[in-house]
Amino acid sequence: MKSTQYSDKVLEHFKNPRNVGTLEGDDVTVGRVGNPVCGDLMEFYVKVKDDRIEDIKFKTFGCGSAIATASMITELAKGKTIDEATRITRQDVANELDGLPPIKMHCSNLAADALKDALTKYQKKQEQPIAEHRADSTRSKEITGLKHFIDKGVFTEVANYSDFANKRTMVLDKGERSMEIALELTNQTPRVIFVTKSKQLSTGGAADRLKASPVRILYESEILEISGLNTVEKVIIHDLNEDEEYELFVDSVITLD
Amino acid sequence: MDVYLDYQSAKPVDRRVIDAMLPYLYYKFGNPSSLHQVGDVATEILESSRETISAFVGAQKDEIIFTSGATESNNLAIIGYALRNKNKGNHIVIAEIEHISIHNIAKYLEKNGFVISKIPVDQFGIVKIDKLAERITDKTILISVGYANNEIGTVQDIATIGTFCREKKIALHTDAVAAEGLIPIDVARDKIDLMTLSSNDVYGPRGLGVMYLRNGIRINPLTIGGGQERGLRSGTENIPAIAGMKRAVEIIQKEMPEETERFQRFRDRMIKEVLTSIPRCYLNGHPINRLPNNAHFRFDGIEGESLLLSFKDKNIAVSTGSACSSKTLEPSHTLIALGLLHEEAHGSLEITFGRFNEESDVDTVLDVLPEIVKRLRKLSPLYKEEV
Repeated sequence: MKSTQYSDKVLEHFKNPRNVGTLEGDDVTVGRVGNPVCGDLMEFYVKVKDDRIEDIKFKTFGCGSAIATASMITELAKGKTIDEATRITRQDVANELDGLPPIKMHCSNLAADALKDALTKYQKKQEQPIAEHRADSTRSKEITGLKHFIDKGVFTEVANYSDFANKRTMVLDKGERSMEIALELTNQTPRVIFVTKSKQLSTGGAADRLKASPVRILYESEILEISGLNTVEKVIIHDLNEDEEYELFVDSVITLD
Repeated sequence: MDVYLDYQSAKPVDRRVIDAMLPYLYYKFGNPSSLHQVGDVATEILESSRETISAFVGAQKDEIIFTSGATESNNLAIIGYALRNKNKGNHIVIAEIEHISIHNIAKYLEKNGFVISKIPVDQFGIVKIDKLAERITDKTILISVGYANNEIGTVQDIATIGTFCREKKIALHTDAVAAEGLIPIDVARDKIDLMTLSSNDVYGPRGLGVMYLRNGIRINPLTIGGGQERGLRSGTENIPAIAGMKRAVEIIQKEMPEETERFQRFRDRMIKEVLTSIPRCYLNGHPINRLPNNAHFRFDGIEGESLLLSFKDKNIAVSTGSACSSKTLEPSHTLIALGLLHEEAHGSLEITFGRFNEESDVDTVLDVLPEIVKRLRKLSPLYKEEV
């Protein structure tokens, strides 16, 4: 079976998804599930009143079945009690959609997990309202390969911007000046990536301009390793939020002293 | 109205090619190995097809070997060469953006004692000669770099790579399937030793491929049998397809200048208008050194399979490098090699023009694309509207 061989019901939900959007307010809980292999990402916004799901909305980045399953589960969950909604399984969602292609059963059938995530968070919030988890962004690890590649793709200072012409350049967040450098580099190359451990950049000055620029910003991320044959060719990025690692092809890394 | 914009994946067989094939399915049905007059008719078309195809790529007639398709040609060229020349060394170099069939052949050889290196490409998909040179050792026997990339359409400077390989006495194989019929190929000018071609990519029938093997280059056969194709590829020749490919090559040789000029016009208009009408949309591949029929985009915040399904709903056939539409659920290794993040590779759209496209097909895509992108971005948690 082809991975895109969808039932009419899946296609119908894909074309006309129910309950798309976000909810706001203190009584809204957000559940989020992502699968980096397949690339799907789902967010559910749940509003609970008297132990019942009063309203639910979703946003999805993903394939046809990701969108359809998310849409379907919002229909299934609306009006249900927390307990009932928690018991909705992946299989329930697939059944309601007249089945999914086998290959999509795991990868793009995350709606039940994302909903569960939201409901668990809601219940925890009831128990201990202020427990907000924060990633430790002050911790600083040695980057493997950094010293080895100094001046072979790793630079601690930018002497000449034209050296970076058409190079995929990664700039590590070292405050205002590193942002200015990233911005300046966009005149030299279409690919500039700014890596920061922070969840968001401060407002004002260089940060605002950076956010509006073509620079690709990787939030809550750090470099673990730099590799290549003689010069920099690849880095391993650690996504602190998802606690996942992945490779990225780059030509240079700028880390100010 | 149906619009087909995925010529990279499959091409219809040209009507004129079908006409040329029919007699060989019917009353000219002979086997070239037979010595009677019926066999002679088959031999005649076999050899004349070989001649036409060799002239098309600047080769000698006896340098053309018929196979069952591009995958077999890749296998025969790389594995056949590796096995025959392993006494000279066990190191083979391929580019990161090679077609999956080359990657899997390399994996197979790795399991069988060969050492494989992969050349990273720049952000436009170009194999740089210094990155290639760095990887050469005294054990390197073969380098395989595709003439042009089947996904992003980037065209390599094969002549420079060929010159380098000739100097280093390393054989060069190139998979030219994506490039054939779209840009002129000359194996002598480009200093190519082994090359893969396919029949369908010039609007011939499927089930036929060609391997160019330069005189003096030795390979081991992988299919053993009756000794056809100089013993390098046994099996009764697929004469109807061989007759078809001859006709297909004759047609494309004549029509290529006009045809590619037309594709390029469509492509350039498509690229220009998509990039100006859709915010946060980018061109993948090289802005200039790209196949005349290839437009490859990525859109922030949306996923390719959703894009493809939306087009499908409007009877428009396009392609994507997204993981969600692939068998392995991995994003395209080519897009990752360009330095793209997974979420960026997922949001790609590939449009490839071909012989039967018209200007109105460009209009159709440009009409529906902005709405599709807008709708999917509205669904996406990754896309925040600019303030």
